[in-house]
This record gives sequence, structure tokens and C-alpha cells, in this order.
Amino acid sequence: MSLLQLDQATIKFGGLIAVNSVSFELKKGDLFGLIGPNGAGKTTCFNLITGVYKPTSGKITFDGKEIGGTPANKIANLGIARTFQNIRLFKSLSVLENVVVGGFLRHKTPLLSALAYMPNVIKETESLKAEALELLKIVNLDKVADVRSADLSYGMQRRLEIARAMATQPKLLLLDEPAAGMNPQEKEELNAMVKHIRDEVGLTVLLIEHDMRFVMSLCERIVVLDAGKEIAAGPPDAIRSDPKVIAAYLGEAV
Amino acid sequence: MKFWGVRLASILGAVAFCFLLEAVAQGQSSFVQRLFVLAGLYVTLAVSLNLINGITGQFSIGHAAFYQVGAYTAGFCASRFFAQMNLPPAAWLLLMMVTSAITAGLAGLLVGLPSLRLKGDYLAIVTLGFGEIIRIFAQNQEALGGAYGLTVAPKIQYVWAAWLLAILCIAVCRNLLRSAHGLPFLAVREDEIASSAMGVNVTQTKVVAFVLGSMFAGAAGAILAHFESFVSPPMFTMDVSFTIVTMVVLGGTGSITGSVLAAILLFYLPEKMRDFTNIPLAGVAAAFVAISAAVFAIRWVMQNFHGSTKDRAIRYLGILVGAVVIWFLSKALLGNVPSLKENIDGSKLRMVVFSVTLVVLMLLRPQGMLGHHEFSWDWVRSKFGKPTVKEATA
Amino acid sequence: MTVFPHLLAGLELSTLPQQLVNGILLGAIYALIALGYTMVYGVLKLINFAHGEVFMLGAYTALFTSWSFGFTEVGNKQDSSPGILILMLIVSMTVCGVVGVLIERFAYRPMRSQPRIASLITAIGISLLLQYGGQLFLPSSPPPSISDKVNPFKGNIEIPLKPADSALLAQAEQLKAKVTSTKAAYDEQLKSEKDSFNLSPVGKELRTASQDAERDYRNAIDKANKDALVITLPQGQVIMLVTTVILMVILTWLVMRTTAGRAMRAASLDFDAASLMGINVNTVIAFTFFIGSALAGAGAMMNASFLGGTKIDTFFGMLPGVKAFVAAVLGGIGNIPGAVLGGILMGLAETMVIWAGYGNYKDAIAFIVLIVVLLVKPGGLLGSNKVEKV
Repeated sequence: MSLLQLDQATIKFGGLIAVNSVSFELKKGDLFGLIGPNGAGKTTCFNLITGVYKPTSGKITFDGKEIGGTPANKIANLGIARTFQNIRLFKSLSVLENVVVGGFLRHKTPLLSALAYMPNVIKETESLKAEALELLKIVNLDKVADVRSADLSYGMQRRLEIARAMATQPKLLLLDEPAAGMNPQEKEELNAMVKHIRDEVGLTVLLIEHDMRFVMSLCERIVVLDAGKEIAAGPPDAIRSDPKVIAAYLGEAV
Repeated sequence: MKFWGVRLASILGAVAFCFLLEAVAQGQSSFVQRLFVLAGLYVTLAVSLNLINGITGQFSIGHAAFYQVGAYTAGFCASRFFAQMNLPPAAWLLLMMVTSAITAGLAGLLVGLPSLRLKGDYLAIVTLGFGEIIRIFAQNQEALGGAYGLTVAPKIQYVWAAWLLAILCIAVCRNLLRSAHGLPFLAVREDEIASSAMGVNVTQTKVVAFVLGSMFAGAAGAILAHFESFVSPPMFTMDVSFTIVTMVVLGGTGSITGSVLAAILLFYLPEKMRDFTNIPLAGVAAAFVAISAAVFAIRWVMQNFHGSTKDRAIRYLGILVGAVVIWFLSKALLGNVPSLKENIDGSKLRMVVFSVTLVVLMLLRPQGMLGHHEFSWDWVRSKFGKPTVKEATA
Repeated sequence: MTVFPHLLAGLELSTLPQQLVNGILLGAIYALIALGYTMVYGVLKLINFAHGEVFMLGAYTALFTSWSFGFTEVGNKQDSSPGILILMLIVSMTVCGVVGVLIERFAYRPMRSQPRIASLITAIGISLLLQYGGQLFLPSSPPPSISDKVNPFKGNIEIPLKPADSALLAQAEQLKAKVTSTKAAYDEQLKSEKDSFNLSPVGKELRTASQDAERDYRNAIDKANKDALVITLPQGQVIMLVTTVILMVILTWLVMRTTAGRAMRAASLDFDAASLMGINVNTVIAFTFFIGSALAGAGAMMNASFLGGTKIDTFFGMLPGVKAFVAAVLGGIGNIPGAVLGGILMGLAETMVIWAGYGNYKDAIAFIVLIVVLLVKPGGLLGSNKVEKV
């Protein structure tokens, strides 16, 4: 069954068509890659799926529901979580607090009880914190739970973003260049982590990445965008040898 | 049942504290009683503005508007309905606090909803403008007493009411920050886009902060109206808003304890200065010179000297001594200028002190006072035995 | 117009042209101040809250300059000359320019690496410091004003739009004859009266008749005058407008044609890129502050000298400052022609509010305009809307 489906999704900014009739489909449990040269419209695609932008035309369906143009917070509630290319953590909050914000959308107690700090709120806060700590263990950040997130190293911040996104307990996780700025060893760990998230936690993952070796070794299916258009789709081996893809990355002259 | 025991004890403690203040104030002159009440009101105003400015990060500089809405609501209701209701003063005051909180909350909703699309300095200007519109509106409304103002009967002068409200306001803000419910507010301050990606309804969060903050300001207004038994537009000018902003900024935006301490300090300092009636103008001018010199010297040391804390402290001490020397020298020098020979009243320095505080603070410690609240929270954490950031990373 | 008849009741359409002209004259001053806001915002993305206080200092400088020429309240100097006015203008502009540069250097520059709210708080602090600190050192109670004698351009320029109705004029003329005759009769009677404070019945009757005739005549003349459309322009205000236009032309030349202006425009497009291209951004910012503040100084000097008896205190700049800021936002902040357009529109809006009989709300209209603009078209009339990149 398809979890996410883009059908001719298009967005224009003034005269620029950033994403031009892109269609692809994610099945539950997929580990899906979205690649393409700089400016191909990959992040814009993410922004369309997560409700930052409203598509000019086309349909985006998630879990049987049309979600094009739905506000970002509602989409998060429907079960799509994301990370950001240029890390967007809540910088002055602690690592643990960052993750609790992610889990907060499942809160049940009303605000008024929180203002009075009623026992049910205390309990809920405790359980959200406990859950967050569990997630921090998965991304191996539990030892720095009380550190201000801005003080973390770059790789740790990327992992924290993943933990924060997972805290919303999504059905679909979007990772925007999770390996950017990581050294080979960190990339190894990330690779294992994403696989763990898919296999053990059972999430569907869609990721944007520039590092070809990383994408090819991780993803089972890949879509390639260039200048807003979809130019190829298929398993890594097919993509690797696709002449259009090679042309897009290396230029026509090759 | 342990929870309810602790809760009951803390409520009783708060009430006892308020009535203790009341008892202490009763023996004092009416001037001192006034200080007690106004200090309580300013604590409420500063902490409630901090909820909007510091915790939610929506820089509002028109808080006096909600204070005014509250005060006028109470004044208007008292002039129309008090005689018929036949309530004891305490009950009436509580009723008015609730009513004023509701009207001010509605005003907060009115400002909050459209202002949400604005950021930073634009939001600041709009809140300032809203405050002025409310004031000018009241000034031209005959039913509200026009430019002259509204006499509020009965006069109800309870110190406990002001402080009960202040403690309630502090408790609410602290509870919010202690529970997970406070995190979306902080998250909105840090990054709106990331917040909404995490399912936080950014609009709703900002509106809630605006409404809650306004409600407390409104309730404070009701107490003010009955305490002064008079409300008029000049009581709610931009100065009042700026005073509250200075308190929040000095205390450290986001830090509740900071707001409380700053509110009390900034309220009492100018009051204390009223006692000095013959301040030589040359001395004030010399203070400007000395403070400017000291600020830039300290900035220079902060930027160019990276020695040990002890060496630093010695340098700062040196600057302090130097500033005093400069003050004496320039005072002697400026004393010869004929136009600086007169003496002025200490009360005239009130807003000057606030403005100098703002500028000096921004020049020397903006980061500690701005949103990131490292200073205050580390301090609170260390009080509870949790490791501070530096220790944990080390 | 018929939706709110009670709102517009009592509107005198005949005074509309005069009010429109007043609005433009007022708007020119707002435009001059708005230019300072918009230029600084363009380069630094900072709302220079203290700009209104620079305007206030400009007025004080003009006052002190006029005093130094002997136009004090007790002075008996009688005649001024355009030369003195030009000198006052230049001194005000220079002093304000220097003050602006100093404020930038010592208050805003240290804040540049900090979050924008830090700059905003500093700006508010400087503004309050100048208002309340100025109160200690500048004469402000009672508020002084620049002597009317400084302005040699007295008298009005009258532009007739439509002459008075001739029938009405003739009617008035007829009544005038009656005034003369009854007055003569009364004067005649007065000679025979013993006590001019206790008239005989005949005398009283004649006096009433004379007074009635006079009143009728005045009413008729008023009616005739109201029918005529004449726009009255005080000469001083015309000179203000001309000077403002000249200054704006010079500014346009500076910004569009000189190297410094090009550097300024580059910095406002992309601050970092401009500095990488070898533009000394500190110089550009200082230059921007100097020009913007000097324009405010010019506006202040003219405002204080040509509108006779304008009282100056340390809050003199607050309202014009706020209104000019709104003008800048209305036109699209950061956009120079937008500031001029916004200024004129603000002036018109204000006089229209007065014209509609809501003079008490003339200070509120600025904020109402501001809120509406920010909600409907946050980029302003000539500005652009930017989307935050994710």
C-alpha cells in the first residue's frame, strides 16, 4: 500500500518553476532516496510534503489523505516528521528538551492543568522525558541529554534532529542531507542508524543526500531530480548507469 | 496525597506571605504602603511581559495598553455597578480582577491575532502603536472620563491583593516552564519553522502567550484603579511600557526570577532617588562622562584581554577606580560651566536611569540578557544540584 | 459616502482643497524624516528609534543658532534675512548629521553582531536617554520657541480657485450701505446722549439696528467668502516645500550618481557581499547616518522656524518621528521614493482626519495606518515581500 504519493506536484516562485510535475510513490517500509544536483528542487520537494509551501498544482497524498497545502503542524500530527538541511534545532534548549518538543504533539493534558501544575501534567511530563531519553539512546546522545543543543558538535546536532523528528512518532521520516559535514566514520554510524530506524522502529524513510556512496549503499529505490524535473527513478544500480543521471551530474559533454 | 499536601502548604505559604506584607505595611505611612502595592504590580507586569517577550520571544513593547484596559474596566464597572452589587470590598476587588483580566485578555487576543504575521521590530512597533491607540481612544471617550480621567470608588488599598496576584503570576509562569507544556513556547521563540514541523501550532502558542500575559496585566490594572481610586490616560503612556520592558531586559528575557528581581530593583531605585532633592547638574553630567568611559573601557577589556578571571577582575576594578576619578575630575571641571550650576530633583532622573540601564546593558551584556538565558537557568540548575552546561561538556 | 452619514456630517467640501494642500506641506516634512529611517533600514535593517530625537536636537540647534543672532525672547532684533535662515539650516543639518554618526558609532556599531532585538533595545534606550537626559540640560520648561522674527517671509500667497458668487457679493454690498446708514444715525444720536453707558430708548433702538445691520453684513460676506475657493499658502511654508524638494533632488543625485551612493545601494542589497567587494561598510553606514540625520535636521529647523511659535521640548521629535516611521513603512521601508510617497500620504491622512472632524484622533491615525499596512501589504506600497528560506 502506498504511504506517500506525489502526483504531478508543481510549485512556482514567480517565473521559476522549482518543482515541475514531480510524481513518485513511497510504500510502507521503503527506504527511499531523493538525489540531484544543487538547485534541483529536492528541499523544495520536502517543503511541499511537509506543508512549508503550498503546491501550485498537483496532488500530494499521505496515508490516503490529500495533504497539499495543509499547515505544517497539522502534517506533523498526521505522521510526517523531518530534519532540516541547515540544522534548525531549538538552540538554547537542552538536548532532552529538544526531543520532548517533538513528543509534545501527543500530549493529552490541557494547558490549564499545566498552569496549575496538576499531578497528571507532572506525570505526563515525566513520561515524555522518559520517552525522549529512550530515543536519545538510539541516536547515542543520552549522555549529553542536559547539554544546551547549540553546544553539540555538528554530527551530534544532526543526530539530535533525527531523534527530535522521531519523537513525533511519525509514519514517514524525511531526512534532508543527514550526512552533510560528517566524516566517514560518522557516516558509517548514520548508515547503521537509519537502517535500524527502518528495520527495528519500522518507519518509512525518505532522504535527500549528496554523498552517492552513502545513498547507493543505503537506499533501495531512488528518484533523481534535475532543474525541478524528475529525470530517473529506480533501484541504485539502474540509477548509477542511467545516462541522463550521468549527464545531469557531469554535464552533457561526457 | 503527598502532592496535595505540598500544594496546600505552598498556597498557604503564599497567602501567609501576602498577609505578612499587609501587616508590615499597615504600620507604615501611606507613601510606603503605596510602594508595597506598586512594587507588587510591577512584578506582575514584568513577569507577565516576560511570558510574551522572553519565553515566547514575541518582542512586545506596549504592555501598558493591557494594564490600561484592565484599569479602565475596573474603573468603569465600579462607577456603574458597585453601588448596586453590595459586595464587601475584598470580594468586589477579586471580581474586578477577574473581569479586568478577561477584558485585557480579549484586548490581547485582538493584538495577538493580527500581529502574529509580524516579526521582531515590526511586532514591537505595532504593540507600541496599539498602546497609543488605546490611550488616545480613552482620552476621547466621555464615558471613560476623557482626558481628565475617571474617579474610581471605592478606594480599596490591599497590599495583599497586589502581591497575591504577583505570586500567582510567578507561579503560573513557573508551572508552565516546569511542565512539558512550556516547551512549545520556548520552541516558538527559538525557531518557528522547526516548531511547526514538530507539530507545534505556532499561531495558537503566540496567541495564548499574548492573552495570558495581557490577563495578568489587566488584573494588575484593576488593583491599580482601586488603589489610586482614579485612572487617567497619562498613567499609561509609553514610559510605563518602556519601564516594564527595561525590567524584563535587565532581568534577562526568559528568566522569571530575573524579572522579579529587576522589577523590584528598578522600581525602588528611582523611588529612593526622590530623597535626593539637590543633585548638582554638573555631577549628573560628570556621571554621563564617567559611565561612558567605563563602559567602553570594559568593552575593550572584554574583547582584547583573555587572561585569568583574577587578572580580569583586577582590570575591572581599575576601570571602576578610574571611572570614579574621572567623575570627580569632570565634576570639578563642569562645575565651572554656568548652565550646569543649578541643582535638580532626583525624581527627574527616573527615566534617565532606565534609559542608561538599557544602553549600558546592551553594550556590556546583551547575550546574557537576551533569550538564551544561560545565566539565570544555569544559576537555577546549580541551585538544584544539576550539572551546568560547562561541567557537562567538559 | 452615504453609508456613514453621521460620520461625515458637518464636512465642509469647500475647505477640502486647502486641507489637501496643508496635507502635502505637512507630508513633505514627514517625508524628509522618513528618508532617514528608510536609508538606515535599507543598509542596517535597523529601525533607528532615536531618529525622532535627532529631529528634536535639530530643532534645538536651530533655536540656539537663532539666539546667537540675537533673536531671543527678550532680544529686540527686528529683521531677519534669508542668509540667517540658510545658516540656521546648515548648522542644524551639520549638528544632526554629526549626532547621527556618533549614535551609530557608539551605540549601534557594537550591536551589529548581536541579534536584531539587541539593536532595537539600544535604539529605544538612546531615544529615551535623549528625551529624558535632554530634559536636564536643554531649556524645556517652559518650552521655548524660535522667534517669529527670524522668518522674513511673512504674508500669504493666495491662489483663487473659484471667485465668489457675484450675486452673493452684490447682496453683501447692499447690506454694507445699510451698515453705513444705521451707523451714522447711531453716531448722530450718540452726540445728543448724556451718558453713553446708559442710553435713552431711542439710542438703544438705533444701537440695536446698527449692530443688526453689521451682523447681517458680516454673515453675507462670510457666505460669499465661503463660496469662493481660495487656497492660502503662507510664504514660509512654500519655502519649506521648495527647500524639501531641493534636498530630495540632491539626495537622489547623491544616491544614484555618486560612488558613495552606489556603495550605499550595494550595501543595502547585500551587506556581506558589499564588504567582500571592497566596500568599506563602516564608512557607508556612517555616511548613511550622516545624510539621514542631516535631512531630519533640515526638517526640524524648518518646522521650528516657519510654523510660527512652535514650542520645542525634548519630546518634540517623538510624534513626528513615529509618523515618519509609519510613512517609511507605508512606502516600503528601505525604498527611497517610497519614503517620499509615504510621507505625503501620511500628511494627507492626518489633515483628512482633522478635516473630517476627528482632530483628537490625529495622532492615532498614524498607528492605525501602520497596523493596516503591515497586515495588508507588509512590504509597503513600493516595497517587496521576501519569503524566509527554509
